[in-house]
Amino acid sequence: MEFIYQSGWGAFAVMLLLQIPFLVVFLWVINHKSGKGAGPSNTSAATVSRLKTGWLTLAIALFLVINLASIRFIPAIYSARAATSGVEPIDVKVEAQSWNYDMSAQEFVAGKPVRFNVVSLDTVHGFAVYHPDGRVLFTMMLVPGAGTSSLTYTFKDPGTYKIRCLEYCGMAHHEMNDEITVTAAAS
Amino acid sequence: MSLPASIVASVPVFGTMFKLEEKDEFEAINAWPAAMIMASFIWFTAAVLLGISMPLVQMLGLDTSLFYTAITAHGAAMAFPYVFQLMMGVGLHRSGGCLGKPVTGIIPALAFWFMNIGGILFTIAILMGLKISYAVMYPLPIVGVQTGQWSMTSVVIGFSGIALILLTVILLFPLQVIKMLFFDKERAELVLNRRTLGDPGMLGMAMSAFVLLIMGSPLLVVASAVLLFLYGLVPFAWIAWAADPMVFQFVFYIFAHNLMEAMAIMVVSAVYATLPLYLADGTRELYSKKMANLALWILLITSVTSFFHHFYTMFPALPSALSYHGNIMSWGTAVGAAITIFTISMTIWKHGLRADVGVMAVLMGFVLYILDGASAIVTSTVAWSYQLHGTMWQAGHTMAVLVAMSMMWMGVLLHHYPVLTGRVVDPTKGKWFVALYTIGAIGVSYSFLAAGAAGMPRRFASWNQEGWMTYGYLILFFGLMLALSMVIFFITIAGSRAIDTTRVTAPAE
Ligand SMILES: [Cu+2]
Repeated sequence: MEFIYQSGWGAFAVMLLLQIPFLVVFLWVINHKSGKGAGPSNTSAATVSRLKTGWLTLAIALFLVINLASIRFIPAIYSARAATSGVEPIDVKVEAQSWNYDMSAQEFVAGKPVRFNVVSLDTVHGFAVYHPDGRVLFTMMLVPGAGTSSLTYTFKDPGTYKIRCLEYCGMAHHEMNDEITVTAAAS
Repeated sequence: MSLPASIVASVPVFGTMFKLEEKDEFEAINAWPAAMIMASFIWFTAAVLLGISMPLVQMLGLDTSLFYTAITAHGAAMAFPYVFQLMMGVGLHRSGGCLGKPVTGIIPALAFWFMNIGGILFTIAILMGLKISYAVMYPLPIVGVQTGQWSMTSVVIGFSGIALILLTVILLFPLQVIKMLFFDKERAELVLNRRTLGDPGMLGMAMSAFVLLIMGSPLLVVASAVLLFLYGLVPFAWIAWAADPMVFQFVFYIFAHNLMEAMAIMVVSAVYATLPLYLADGTRELYSKKMANLALWILLITSVTSFFHHFYTMFPALPSALSYHGNIMSWGTAVGAAITIFTISMTIWKHGLRADVGVMAVLMGFVLYILDGASAIVTSTVAWSYQLHGTMWQAGHTMAVLVAMSMMWMGVLLHHYPVLTGRVVDPTKGKWFVALYTIGAIGVSYSFLAAGAAGMPRRFASWNQEGWMTYGYLILFFGLMLALSMVIFFITIAGSRAIDTTRVTAPAE
């Protein structure tokens, strides 16, 4: 579950799950019904109605299962859970401005919740934290005047985490990045 | 010969593809549409070249400002003067033939000129240095002036161009559709295949006209206010409310998201109209009109407020309730899509398919559209949005939806081509276009989506890190395949032959 909902590749896998059955069935119907000698079919009204019910039930079931299972991975939910866990998060203030970040702290300890309070001072910027293995852990969109965006995250693995701006912000947008370091918890 | 007909006749290469007959009895529904369709393909050709230039700039390590120039021009040209203008041309032509109402007078003329002059003005601004991506990224245009990235003049010219385009999309096109649907007098000789509002093939045209008009109006008001200030006609204090980035961002996405949905509703409607004409047993009816209309209504209702998904990662500036709402509404559009898939599949299953080039292009475009829909609802899920927003996934979705709609419209265009020009195209060559376009489009969109899954940022002129360049090579490869398919499309159209007898209206709608 963690892999499915907390990585881009998990999202990619679910997308394939939705696409492949459609692709196979739809292309088969077109191919089967447009080839030589393939004409109309006299499928009974009862069968059509059963197929319709089955198909729509499947669509709605996928809708419910995929979305309900996603709830605990929504940052607002895990941030709220961290806030009520009794462990006081470390507050970090981040100011984004073309083209750098001003962070009140850049070194953290694994296993301790960190609350990022991020604001943009000029134009629209992003604040994306990348895991050392290259995947995006989370990104935040910062619209000036929108106030502070806030998210509580608990790092698991020690290492160097890259910060990147993921909202196009002008000529040096691709150079707007920084790093944070996560050290192993002293046992 | 009317003005639009002579414009088309006088343009080399692209004009010859869409030139009307000498004495065209349907000139009233053909002339402006032909001009719009022709112009759209000129923009498309430029946009494809710009698209291919982006991976090349990265591979050759050229100046990053070239990349941002290309991305701004490519995105803007694809969305507006290409796809929207193509849709406007084909959509107005088929509405004319369904309702027996002419596409003449001041409104279509202004729509044509505003769209193309607007596009040219925006291009000039980009060449002057304005690099704001097609999403404007407000307040970036103003911040860019303050930080010396581009001049105020380029912003004024660019915003003037955007304003003309928005006037066409939000006001002129919807007004023309509404005028034809509810006001103009029918001319019996223009009726090719009568359709009323209750027909799924016409209902979508009406829905999208109202969606664009209603959902676009706030942006038109805000953009006009900003423009009045840029022209120096009013003091800043008067328009400060409109210049607030939060105001601009929200009205922009209320419009931009609904623009995409309106185009989708319109094209699904055109698919519902076209498919039955190619059924093997000559039924000429969808398996269920009711299901088709239900799908359109669900698409309409769920799509209107699904735009919140553009702002999920702003929490808590965007309250959670609105995020969940956007999440559910986005998935709601998939329920409409599921019904559409069923209606189309069952129609083909029950009646068989006469697989002509036009209808195959429509159906393959529909496949691309549904595949993209899956990528769209995944990234519209709040939890995934935090990993995917701002990555190439998003760029891939935007591109794929435009490529899919463009394919469906090209299919509908091939269907209407004999009435539009009095010529027929060679179906064997057309098949190569359909096959290559489909493979190219699927390849390029999976390359983008995989790049996004791997964390590669969009609108980002530094691909040569973290192994991202591999995706760049894949994008270039499949992009070239798409470009090749378009060359075949143009050759197919250019090689069309005159219908030998007097006008045959059989394949017409
Ligand atoms: Cu930035």
